[in-house]
Amino acid sequence: MRPEFELYDRREFFGVVSKTAAILGLSTGAAKTAPASDSGTANPFAYDLRRLEKTDPALVAYQEVGRWRSPRKEPKRIAVGPDDRIYLCAGNYVTVMSREGQTVLEIALPDTAYCVTAAKDGAIFAATRDHIEVFNATGQRRATWDSPGRKSWLTSLATGGNDVFAADSGNRIILRYDRSGRLMGRLGEKNAERNIPGFIVPSPYLQVEIHRDGLLRVNNPGRHEVEAYTLDGDFEGAWGKASAAIDGFCGCCNPIAIAALPDGRIVTGEKGLPRVKVYSAAGEFESVVAGVEGFPENAKACSDLNDCTRGGLDVAVDSQGRVYIVDFVTAEVRVMKRKS
Amino acid sequence: MVTKPQIETPVSRRQFLRNGARLAALTGLGALAGVMSNRARADGWVWQIDPAKCLHCGNCASNCVLEQSAVKCVHAFAVCGYCQLCTGFFAPDPNQLTTGAENQLCPTAALQRTYVEDPYYQYTIDENLCIGCARCVEGCNRFGNGSLFLQIRHDRCVHCNECAIARTCPGDAFRRVPARQPYLLKTTAR
Repeated sequence: MRPEFELYDRREFFGVVSKTAAILGLSTGAAKTAPASDSGTANPFAYDLRRLEKTDPALVAYQEVGRWRSPRKEPKRIAVGPDDRIYLCAGNYVTVMSREGQTVLEIALPDTAYCVTAAKDGAIFAATRDHIEVFNATGQRRATWDSPGRKSWLTSLATGGNDVFAADSGNRIILRYDRSGRLMGRLGEKNAERNIPGFIVPSPYLQVEIHRDGLLRVNNPGRHEVEAYTLDGDFEGAWGKASAAIDGFCGCCNPIAIAALPDGRIVTGEKGLPRVKVYSAAGEFESVVAGVEGFPENAKACSDLNDCTRGGLDVAVDSQGRVYIVDFVTAEVRVMKRKS
Repeated sequence: MVTKPQIETPVSRRQFLRNGARLAALTGLGALAGVMSNRARADGWVWQIDPAKCLHCGNCASNCVLEQSAVKCVHAFAVCGYCQLCTGFFAPDPNQLTTGAENQLCPTAALQRTYVEDPYYQYTIDENLCIGCARCVEGCNRFGNGSLFLQIRHDRCVHCNECAIARTCPGDAFRRVPARQPYLLKTTAR
């Protein structure tokens, strides 16, 4: 007859306990390694971007050769001058730096510095949200121009010859000034007769660049395009497609930044899916400078409850084709060089 | 015998004014009583989602006691960018920017797209189809202005004392609001 209570000796007891612990441990481990969808808590309606956040390594043609922190908080724009010095707008300052990131000069503005450009003669044009200020090469203020209007939100400057072009995101227009600050023209206003589509600017990232071919390049973020204009404002063409895929521009408004390589190809910077890519002058996707996985903090700027307009990347290019990327979230500047 | 027809005497100015004042006073009293009565009836609390705290987790679609959730997507038109590539409407990598089912993000096609003018489109929600899954809300918040957001629709909500969704909300976004102001609407972009 089987006894009602079976007593274990010490050795048996420890054996049973260790077996039980091992089984529990194994099952816990298995539960942890099981896919989330099997746990019963995964969101069946999840907005899944994981595939788009990974870049095919074969497409990445650049490598990082330098990185430094912005000397001031909240960088907005970066530009490279004719002498290959770096001009960074951050906080209320324009910081002029060497290619290695050493500060050469700091220029204080009365308000947040939004954009900057430098001329061949050393003149520096910098803009706050609503007006442009002019400095000489040593940072002495030479002029303060009148605000172009109540809704102005200046987000990019470009200079060449006797012209200074200012991208006004608030009024969705490119303003053409001469170097004395006289307004010479307004470019890009919607005009069906001149076949000008008009800028769509859901967030303040309109940018203008003067290219070596003598045309202006302007991003049209709401249309996900880069457009070409003559200096007089004639529309010459556009390229770009709306897509979250690697060869397109995603979200409400991209690209938010453009820069020309010495050979005429164009570098673009994006937000939402923060990535930097290279397109041919005709707009064919060529390669990736830096993918989304390189900017994890920036990618989170839009996915959590923060303001999505805080995220994004600005780009600039020097005479040797190196790409400078500003990460608005981490306040870092990265220097990227094409892989040999 | 012929009786002389009685002619009604016209109301004097004083009587007219007196009657008018009485009528106005009665109307005012009635309106006041109505307002007070309404306020007394609505004097209570209802559940609502704070859009600033919502994590778009999908729980609202599956945890409501109703077969089809009382939580619906709503749209702040003043905040919307009327984008051609609406990331609340389109799947992350659509084949084309058309209303084809394979391009849409919404699992029930509740978000509807109407052309306004180049390049703008208006987006509206068919509440009969919306299940409150927040997939469009996540898409809109991820890349856009965040004009799509979730709210409990009180014409559907059965006002449980303990809201089944609130119990599991990971963002603690559910809170009690006065019944006379039952919605927490967005008026500006995030």
